[in-house]
Amino acid sequence: MSELLKITDLSKSFGRHIVFSDLNMKLSPGKVYGLLGLNGEGKTTLIRILLGVIPADRGKIRYKDSAVSYRSAAYKEEVGYIPEDPFFFGGMTVGELLDFNAAFYRRWDGGRAEDLLKRFSLDKKARIKTLSRGMKLRLEMAVALAARPSLLVLDDPTSGLDVPTRHDFLQDIIRELADAGTTLLFSTHLVHELERIVDHLFILHRGRLILDEEHEAVKNSVRRVRLNFQKDPPQNLGIDGILVESRDGQWIEVIIYPWSDDKKKKLEGFSPALLDIEPLTLEEIFRSFVAG
Amino acid sequence: MITIETSGFVPIYEQIKKGIKSEISLGVLKASQALPSIRDLAAELVVNPNTVARAYRELEHEGFICTRKGKASFVSENSSSLIQKDTVRMMEDVFDRAISEARKFGFDSAEIRRVVESRLKNQEKRGEGEGR
Repeated sequence: MSELLKITDLSKSFGRHIVFSDLNMKLSPGKVYGLLGLNGEGKTTLIRILLGVIPADRGKIRYKDSAVSYRSAAYKEEVGYIPEDPFFFGGMTVGELLDFNAAFYRRWDGGRAEDLLKRFSLDKKARIKTLSRGMKLRLEMAVALAARPSLLVLDDPTSGLDVPTRHDFLQDIIRELADAGTTLLFSTHLVHELERIVDHLFILHRGRLILDEEHEAVKNSVRRVRLNFQKDPPQNLGIDGILVESRDGQWIEVIIYPWSDDKKKKLEGFSPALLDIEPLTLEEIFRSFVAG
Repeated sequence: MITIETSGFVPIYEQIKKGIKSEISLGVLKASQALPSIRDLAAELVVNPNTVARAYRELEHEGFICTRKGKASFVSENSSSLIQKDTVRMMEDVFDRAISEARKFGFDSAEIRRVVESRLKNQEKRGEGEGR
């Protein structure tokens, strides 16, 4: 099995509004994928299609080399989901919720569920409505992980959490990666949280995937360049791949992708008084790609 | 204590390698001492376990650590002699960078020598030069 999940030419509209069209994505086992996009760019719609909650208009989804429709129950059992805003029956206890969920999954691992409750300091007898937002997230995670998912989809799970709780959550996710080698599709608006864990990046913008690339490759090929000129700066730098350009008097600042030695030589050819080349953080890279 | 920063040119696995090497050279990690597991170090640093695994793999390849099959990784017996060579290389790197920076600002070789000489004298005067 080369890919865990492969989607081909996936399209979705709501009425006249095209959410996205002809999306192609591949997820390999054991890797961490970041799904980035501004609010309203269709990340959650894409996730809902991948989870089989709503159907796509067109396109194919293949999971472990077989086609799945949005009705495929067996596929849904292997995909875990941690949403931004989980729904619980608040009157249930933690233990009741686990028993309730166990019935839906053939791969449900009761021993693992117990271990996770212990690790997360969740009391089986506690009523769900009495739990804090952070503890509810841990409960969601325990439910998702006890089903031993091959693919875990996280839709902005840390929004609204305080910094220490987010940190704990990320550590729990990392332990899961180390223990089970689960494939992760992680959508978040807190881009910097992905910086240390993500293997591959997708950026969804205006209905298209404008970036589909290994994180390390992106990091190595996006550069911010500052140029200062003693005389008037050139009107046109004449290089392609400028994501963002700003000018201020004798200064030009550009963000370039993909960066190359040829482009550096070309910029040096303008004989700037100063040429400063810097890498960007993931957050800055994301902002540059969606700036246009 | 390994610290990771994500805004620079240095990939995370390189930073982990460097951190472990410096712990070996400072004696925080001693020969034949066990390293933290990939899982624990990844969780502590909040980085992808694959990244820690890559750092360990490369450190093993370079001879600084050894891994017993299916077990923990240990600091190699001869790690300190390797570290010495490595430290020299690292310092050469630091000086290389300082020199090219100076050249960018138009310093010639004689001026660079003069600056290095004067900084060295300055530190010796304050008693920071030797015996550390």
